[in-house]
Amino acid sequence: MEMPQYDPNTKPEFELYTIPSHSSWFRWDDIHETERTALKEFFDGSSISRTPKIYKEYRDFMINKYREEPSRRLTFTQVRKSLVGDVSLLHKVFRFLDEWGLINFGAVSRGDDSDNRDSSLGDTELKNQVKIEEGAPNGVRVVALPNSLKPISVPNSGADGSGNGKVAVAGETGVKLPPLASYSDVFGDLVKLKGFKCGSCGEQCNSGCYEYSKGSFVICEKCFKNGNYGEDKSKDDFRFSDLGGNSLTHGATWTEAETLLLLESVMRHGDNWELVAQNVPTKSKLDCISKLIELPFGEFMMGSAHEMNSCPTGSLNSLKEGQSASSENQNDVKMEDQVHDQMNESKQNGDAATEEPPAKRKRIAPLSDGGSTLIKQVAHISTMVGPHVTAAAAEAAVAALCNESSCPREIFDGDEDYLANGLSSPTMVSDPERALQVDASKMEENQSETQDASSEKNDVPLNLRIRTATATALGAAAANAKLLADQEDREIEHLVAIIIETQMKKLHSKINYFDDLELIMEKEYNEMMQLKECLVEERIDVLERALKTGVSKWRS
Amino acid sequence: MKLPATSSSKAPVKFRMPTADNLVPIRLDIETEGQRYKDAFTWNPSDPDSEVVVFAKRTVRDLKLPPQFITQIAQSIQTQLTEFRSYEGQDMYTAEKIVPIKLDLRVNHTLIKDHFLWDLNNYESDPEEFARTFCNDMGIEDPEVGPAVAFAIREQLYEIAIQSVASAREIKISKKGRRGAEHAISSKGGGNALDLMKLFRYNSSVVRKRKEWYVYEPIVDILSNEEVDALEAREDRNTR
Repeated sequence: MEMPQYDPNTKPEFELYTIPSHSSWFRWDDIHETERTALKEFFDGSSISRTPKIYKEYRDFMINKYREEPSRRLTFTQVRKSLVGDVSLLHKVFRFLDEWGLINFGAVSRGDDSDNRDSSLGDTELKNQVKIEEGAPNGVRVVALPNSLKPISVPNSGADGSGNGKVAVAGETGVKLPPLASYSDVFGDLVKLKGFKCGSCGEQCNSGCYEYSKGSFVICEKCFKNGNYGEDKSKDDFRFSDLGGNSLTHGATWTEAETLLLLESVMRHGDNWELVAQNVPTKSKLDCISKLIELPFGEFMMGSAHEMNSCPTGSLNSLKEGQSASSENQNDVKMEDQVHDQMNESKQNGDAATEEPPAKRKRIAPLSDGGSTLIKQVAHISTMVGPHVTAAAAEAAVAALCNESSCPREIFDGDEDYLANGLSSPTMVSDPERALQVDASKMEENQSETQDASSEKNDVPLNLRIRTATATALGAAAANAKLLADQEDREIEHLVAIIIETQMKKLHSKINYFDDLELIMEKEYNEMMQLKECLVEERIDVLERALKTGVSKWRS
Repeated sequence: MKLPATSSSKAPVKFRMPTADNLVPIRLDIETEGQRYKDAFTWNPSDPDSEVVVFAKRTVRDLKLPPQFITQIAQSIQTQLTEFRSYEGQDMYTAEKIVPIKLDLRVNHTLIKDHFLWDLNNYESDPEEFARTFCNDMGIEDPEVGPAVAFAIREQLYEIAIQSVASAREIKISKKGRRGAEHAISSKGGGNALDLMKLFRYNSSVVRKRKEWYVYEPIVDILSNEEVDALEAREDRNTR
């Protein structure tokens, strides 16, 4: 970290460098164990050219050299010319620092394809950074005809005001490129919202405009009334389109009751904005979504993809994306709904068997799926880790919320009892389903309790209620996880028993085999003995006969 | 075979290349019937000798050389291998020695000049790895440069190893006076090796002074065709 010249009037600036978190052991004035083990040669006192002091000098020099220009990738050749010592050893130190991210952490990664290279490193880095620009560059305005001033807006099926431009483009280029789906998603609504210019009087049509049904001609209400239809157009050809209710900035006055309804329906239907909008009768889908985001924890409900955008305008954009690309999301939403329903179902039925298949499916799916809601993710994660971990996490979450303010504590007091009940279910192995049912019913009770309580007295803050519900959901997820874990244990035991049995059978059959073998060997042995006896007898016979017939004199 | 390196260890070690792989640098320069074949590569001395002839045959076939080359190539390789093996049985002293290595070579269109230090005692050093890093860092696209650099390094290390064998022999001869031997060891091949005591002293820094950086900096030049031709002509004149 460098400090510029110290000027008493200004604060000293520290430059920040990023290193990966697994290298947080690094200190300037010290040598850590990691370094000692990785680069043993410096620390075993084997030579005067390799000492800790020398190592520290090498290391500090390399890191400082890199930090002079953090965006460029430091190469070994650049440092080795400035350091005295064996190049292989220096290379080892360099590689060590590189692997631990102490140098070249933020630098451009070099391309592996050597064809991309130049002899100068600067060009190489630039080439590896591909810049993608969308649409026309700034300062360039695309116009229909060479000298006209009217800019062309994106050809879009939704937008009608740009019809002229569209036709002209087609005529000019002969090729009409289909608008990129993402472009129309993002900009489609914006174009819609742009004020239409009246074709006859040239004023902005704010509240409503009349569209010419046979072409793309727009006149404002005033002109319509006055009869200025433009050439060759008659009254019947015009159709009224209302732009009034379409803007997001005005028209959203939400009462408490409406907010409450909104939250309930979001909790029930998750991301299915159609249903949510239905339940909240006076507000459109768009309004619902925007209101939810504006609520302090609204993004909490929306799922992790939208959580990324912290600024409301950013979230608004992504919101529009999500909304107008609803056809793509429909499938995801349906799937989520299914899972939600299944989860709810299984809780209510208390049927352990049906719990397994959905849980198993969730287990196979990837862990952090950007399309799923937070609650689903939490449930997902809780099925993967051990039940004690989940329980601890749930407790910690509750504790954290309690610590924030004393108010939720009252709400959670009721929760904690039931959470404790849910978590002590390991003892009730014989009756897990009942416990779950109990939990589920209690949860529903609690939910309705809290909701009743709040509808009676509206001073309980909205976000706390939501958090209550979330905590109870976490608790239920934890209990769920515990049951699944028990089942898995039993399965494992069963399988192990099978394995042991099989091994036993194997051993038995081996023993039998050897017994048989022994029998056979004994029999053979007996036979051999008999044969031996026979042979001996025969020999005796032969000798007898020989003696009987007389023996020739032995020569002495 | 690794030697635990201590500055005071003067125990002799069996001769081998002081690098991670014990590979011999082989250089060929054969001229027959107006055709010249120049090559430089590394050979693994533990390969059986039958491989030499196979290699020679394959090279002649790949490069479409006249068949007289086969025997000549095989012979040349064999000679160099035997020479290497003759050193193998002997001892060499490799006390702490950091030697400067200079690169000054031309490969096709690339001219390389470089200067750096190498520790003879580091039996895990790898010239190929050094060459690879070098080419990557300098953005060299010609794939023949890397092996050429590694070969140049190996050749120089080989030379130095041979010298240390020779000096070890001298020391043995003069072993009669112990004190004399010690003195000889400390100053053996002294011309080349760096004085470690001076360089790595406690007060001095291992970071070079900036004005010396250019000495140890690599220079890579891409030559044009005419320059290449001119250089080749000059080299031929020198070798004749």
